[in-house]
Amino acid sequence: MNALSRTAGGLSPFSAVRALASVSSNAYSVGPYQVFDRNAKRIRKERSAQVDGGNRSRTVDYLRDEIADRMIERLMDIKRTYNSVLDLGAGAGHFSKLLEPEITRKSVMLDLSQKMLDRDDTTEFAVEVERVQCDEENLLETIKANSQEAIVSCLSLHWVNDLPGVLIQIREALVPDGVFIGALFGGETLFELRSSLQLAEVEREGGISPHVSPMTDSRDMSNLMGRAGFTLLTVDVDEVKVNYPSIWELMDDLRDMGESNAIIGRRSFIHRDTLLAASAAYKALHGNEDGTIPATFQIIFVIGWKPSPTQPKPLERGTGKTNLKDIL
Amino acid sequence: MSSSSPTAISPLRRLAVHSTTTCSSHAAAYGKCILKSYTDMKKDACKDEFEKFGKCMHEAMKRKW
Repeated sequence: MNALSRTAGGLSPFSAVRALASVSSNAYSVGPYQVFDRNAKRIRKERSAQVDGGNRSRTVDYLRDEIADRMIERLMDIKRTYNSVLDLGAGAGHFSKLLEPEITRKSVMLDLSQKMLDRDDTTEFAVEVERVQCDEENLLETIKANSQEAIVSCLSLHWVNDLPGVLIQIREALVPDGVFIGALFGGETLFELRSSLQLAEVEREGGISPHVSPMTDSRDMSNLMGRAGFTLLTVDVDEVKVNYPSIWELMDDLRDMGESNAIIGRRSFIHRDTLLAASAAYKALHGNEDGTIPATFQIIFVIGWKPSPTQPKPLERGTGKTNLKDIL
Repeated sequence: MSSSSPTAISPLRRLAVHSTTTCSSHAAAYGKCILKSYTDMKKDACKDEFEKFGKCMHEAMKRKW
């Protein structure tokens, strides 16, 4: 009786209802867990690149430009010249604009959003650029394996669902001894916004929902890079703090950057009361003395190399000839 | 695309302006209450403070929601 009612009432009548539940997008499939709605993300980016002919998007370039500036130094530290550099998740080309003909002849910019790629004119680049629309999650469908001398990614990997998978694809796409340099938001990024929205939602509505993405930790990054098969790893964390007049300007700017919430199962709106509560909570909890509010962005920089027999390797344990005691 | 024209002020923009100017003292009072109880937050922990804040906002916006 029990079993019968389970088969009768359990599966078939509910299957139609089940399909509407966006939260469990992975319920009947195998594969990486889906956290982000990639299509929603693409639409956000397209929209932000189009508003006011791209001018709104240009005014909020400050963050990406700053990080691109810090990343180009890391590329310059490598004494090599390239025929072509692959800029993964290039956006409007914040990083590619900084490339000089002395470093590379050409840059191939890849992004989820074609409109974002096309935002800025070719004259703003010092090197030849090619713009290719492609989903980073399926990199190898567009880029051949063993074809790239250098791959860079500046602030796009924080929207990727399958980060381990993308890193493996990047390693595959590189030629042996090719380098990958990446920067992504992680760690404590936007913790002020996260905590004030959570407090406001609990106080006003009695529960919380996702508004700020889950972030990758720097320790996770070195593990993931190692697991993806990169060698000679470097991982470091940098922080940028931006002051805004209030939570409203912060949220406006995030939207104009195309960085608004794209978590699967997000609520499509925030109640006005909750927003008002969050604005007051943000200021009370994190506000600066001069009345402005800070927003923290933590950026994880990673450098990894595809293994090659020509690379320097650590010596075997116990082969050292010099006693450290004599030096220290 | 109407939101992109500089003269049109969106309702959210007005909400932003009034919450940071007209009703800023009520907002600060509510914030203070949150600061007092953020380690153990419960629903309606700062109900009185928010009601004053909300009332001020309703008057400033000349509408309810």
